[in-house]
Amino acid sequence: MKFFNYIEGIFTALRSLAGGMIVTWKELFTPKVTMQYPENRKTLTISNRWRSELIMPHDENNEHACTACGICMMNCPNGSIEVLSTTIETEDGKKKKILNKHLWNYGSCTFCNLCVITCPSDAIIFNNEFEGAVFDKSKLLHRLNREDSKLRERKKDTAPATTNTTIKKENKEA
Amino acid sequence: MKEIIQFIQKIAPEAQIEQRKRLTVTVRPEEVHLVMKMLRKNEVLCFDYLISLIGMDWGDRLGVIYQLSVSTDLTKELVLITATTDRDNPLLYSVTDLYETAHLNEREIYALFGIRFINNPDMRRFLLNDEWKGFPFRKDYLHDPKLNPETVVSSEISDIAPRIVEKENGELIEEQVPLFDEEDYIVNIGPQHPSTHGVMHFRTALDGEIVKKIDVHSGYIHRGIEKLCESMTYPQMLHLTDRLDYLSANINRHALCMCIEKGAEIEVPERAQYIRTIMDELQRISSHLLAWATHCNDLGATTAFIYGMREREHVLDIFDKTCGGRLIINQNVVGGVMFDIYPDFQKDVKAFIPYMREKLKEYDHFFSHNAIALGRMVHIGHLCREDAISYGVTGPAGRASGWSCDVRKHKPYALYDRVAFKEIVRTEGDSYARYLNRLDEIAESLHIIEQLIDNIPSGAICAKLKPIIRIPVGQYFQSVETGKGEFGVFIESTGEKNPYRVKFRSPSLSAVSVVPLISRGAFLSDLIGITGSLDFVIPDIDR
Amino acid sequence: MLIYSQPLELTKFLAAIDNFLHSNFAPGWAIVVEGILVGAMILVMYALIALVMIYIERKIAAFFQARLGPNRVGKYGIFQSLADMIKILIKEVIHIKKADKFLFFVAPFFVIVSSVLAFGELPFGINLHALDFNIGVFYLLSVSSLGIIGILLAGWSSNNKYSMIGAMRSGAQFISYELSAGFALMTIVVLSGSMQFSEIIEGQRYCWNLFNGHLPALIAFIIYLISGHAETNRGPFDLPEAESELTAGYHTEYSGLQFGFFYLSEYLNMFIVAAVAATLFLGGWMPIQIKGWEAFNQVMWYIPSWVWFIGKAGILMFISLWVRWSFPRLRIDLLLNLEWKYLLPINLVNMLVMVMIVLSGFTLTDLFPALFGN
Repeated sequence: MKFFNYIEGIFTALRSLAGGMIVTWKELFTPKVTMQYPENRKTLTISNRWRSELIMPHDENNEHACTACGICMMNCPNGSIEVLSTTIETEDGKKKKILNKHLWNYGSCTFCNLCVITCPSDAIIFNNEFEGAVFDKSKLLHRLNREDSKLRERKKDTAPATTNTTIKKENKEA
Repeated sequence: MKEIIQFIQKIAPEAQIEQRKRLTVTVRPEEVHLVMKMLRKNEVLCFDYLISLIGMDWGDRLGVIYQLSVSTDLTKELVLITATTDRDNPLLYSVTDLYETAHLNEREIYALFGIRFINNPDMRRFLLNDEWKGFPFRKDYLHDPKLNPETVVSSEISDIAPRIVEKENGELIEEQVPLFDEEDYIVNIGPQHPSTHGVMHFRTALDGEIVKKIDVHSGYIHRGIEKLCESMTYPQMLHLTDRLDYLSANINRHALCMCIEKGAEIEVPERAQYIRTIMDELQRISSHLLAWATHCNDLGATTAFIYGMREREHVLDIFDKTCGGRLIINQNVVGGVMFDIYPDFQKDVKAFIPYMREKLKEYDHFFSHNAIALGRMVHIGHLCREDAISYGVTGPAGRASGWSCDVRKHKPYALYDRVAFKEIVRTEGDSYARYLNRLDEIAESLHIIEQLIDNIPSGAICAKLKPIIRIPVGQYFQSVETGKGEFGVFIESTGEKNPYRVKFRSPSLSAVSVVPLISRGAFLSDLIGITGSLDFVIPDIDR
Repeated sequence: MLIYSQPLELTKFLAAIDNFLHSNFAPGWAIVVEGILVGAMILVMYALIALVMIYIERKIAAFFQARLGPNRVGKYGIFQSLADMIKILIKEVIHIKKADKFLFFVAPFFVIVSSVLAFGELPFGINLHALDFNIGVFYLLSVSSLGIIGILLAGWSSNNKYSMIGAMRSGAQFISYELSAGFALMTIVVLSGSMQFSEIIEGQRYCWNLFNGHLPALIAFIIYLISGHAETNRGPFDLPEAESELTAGYHTEYSGLQFGFFYLSEYLNMFIVAAVAATLFLGGWMPIQIKGWEAFNQVMWYIPSWVWFIGKAGILMFISLWVRWSFPRLRIDLLLNLEWKYLLPINLVNMLVMVMIVLSGFTLTDLFPALFGN
């Protein structure tokens, strides 16, 4: 009986091993899952919710929607955003903030999206430009508002910036 | 529970017993051990599961909050609080002899709060090194980099464990005990090692190939997340939970969201609940797949590793399309979810389900019955039910030891009370049972998703919130079932916009604390196999 | 026996070289020059085969794992292993402070020398045979077991605990499996009645030893593949390296060229095991021939003998890769169990059966001399 078990054990083991080998044999001919990254750049689809780079969309008049309220700066968990603004007095005597610089640190951002969802005027969004590697750490500090840009006058018909399609990197200050 | 109240009153007449959301008992430090011993040995309701130990600094007092539960009925919870006013040399009694899980937790509290525990057999600091000056989680800790400068010099690890022992006559004696024998052959498994899944450090005494003793040394990736949370608002805290057990990022975040929602009494819309549950289950699948893959890799089957990663990729693609993140997906927010599902979400998930089922079969043929794999897993690393409970090992590992501890089943949250699913429990308690549990749970998760995916109601995805979320004064606790086990979030609030204290109950810490026990006497190769089968994630331990 | 046309054989070319040398040098010097040429040729082949094998292994492993494998250096990554070799050659050899310097330095040479010695003995084709001892199989067994000394020395001299454990495992493993491998080869020696490779090959002209000795030969074949595989420290038997346990086992502390030696010899040992199995069980370089089918035989002979040899060895190497990338690693006690409780007893019985079959004339050549007899 013991001898029989011994022989049976050998065959069960061999059968189980063969089962494993059949699986790898089949896999030998399956299509490979590797993506060839730099080559497939043209066909690569990045999900349009992918968060890579914080940008401030500007329209054709070089206007943005940021009111320099600083809520994004306050909400950022690790201080990656800095909003520099000056307060001026408008003609009708109201105090108003004007955006000087909206600085965002790519290096320390954790992409938690809190700034985007809390922004009351939908002025900033994340885009899909995932190739963010640079050789110099200082280049990671982006200025989001363009030179000489100004606040868009509020009109009722302006649609808020929703999609983050092809926004060029022009607004990035090197 | 009434009996319990009377029972406690009988042993500790001065105890303050309050019926808050959970039964909360405050006792004097001298009585803690006695009360807990009686609760542990209680015949009516045996509080044998210590969910977590939470070190606290209330300014004038330093203390510990013990959260106890009953292993057979996880809905029964009891909170025990004790505190000492001595800030210079705070001493409390250890409960390590009652609950093994207390051992590492008490050492952690010592490192972070400076409370030492009498009768703990090994009172070294955990998570911080011996030279650290000050106790960083105390409220009066000086946050001065000069005090603890960054250093590039590695310091020797001390193998001498201090401890405080109480003699029978009540006298306290401080002792120094060597951890290893003089002639032990000590091998460092970690912190840089291919199979510790991160910067875990097992100092292993070997006798030939046989493991004699293991000293767990951790803290290489300790970031002080709990301390960081104290200075953040509730929405800001969320992104840190993703960085604990990053393989169950979404589920961790779900726990914190629920805890905040519980405190601030926010109703989560139905649609958000559906999305949360589906995403949690997808996350569980991806976590289990990675656990399976790395476990196989630890056993030397590199090919299985790639297969697991390949299937996980499909889940990550769905995450990526839903919320723009793969590992850290930032999906849950207080009151709901951040992103609504994308139009093809249902289609993609429904395509994934049969694909994954097919692959589960393939795994079965490929590895589950492989004679070598069986030899490496069956009867290896045996963990019995009592030990699993005492060490607080939950999740697939705990359920492999016959402990039905699925939070989804016992304390249902989100939609788990509305879906039908089986809790996978095995009684063997070995590596193989843990291994099979994970594969079976993937199948169950697919089953859950299948029930939900077609019924997602329309509606809002996030509740309307006040701009600043505040939680009323009190203590809040919420646990969830992550891929690794019971993950809990404890918040003590003073009504401010940021919490007074946050504590995460980490399932991985329990898993790692049980390694020395179950791998004693095993082969070195099996130690690797056992750690793989327990499936822990180091950032979850170090926090 | 007919003489077949063999257009692609190297025999004539070699003879031409021999003639040229003998007509231009004194007889003694001609031998010396030939010796040097053969030696150089063996070393070049050694390195070349290793490079090709490393590439093929990486490619096949990748295909098993649903990946693409190396594909960046050259088309399909064919220059990958060349690039790796250059990298390894220019890499710094790190000297370990507290290592036993002499032994640490010597260890890789033991490993590589033993595998070169074994490699030099292989019959690659007709007349492509540097040595043809009458105790060829015995010689091969003895030189290939020298390698273990290098591994043990490497483990010991590195002054590293991982290396030490790896080396100790290797010792136990190698000594055990050497036994099975030896017995399996001896079974075939019993069948062939010779230890000389050329004779063994000649004996398999119409019937491979694998079929000639039917059941016992098949068992011996499987056992030899398993134990040969184990001796090369690969696949499910890679305990001495055990990447997930001992980081890199006995060669943890080695770098640069010294590591390269271990690496090369690992692949070459795999080739040697496959080649020996092909020679002893599958007829070596001998093309497939069927008695009486002269046209068929002629076609087979058009394919040069060294292609047959590489092809047969290649198939066996593929099986070895297949096994390696399918199974998890054994534990040391499982490994020794397999050897001492399964392979060795089976092997002993098997050898006895083989002796009886040969004595009582139950081999295929004896049973059907018209079909398979030489």
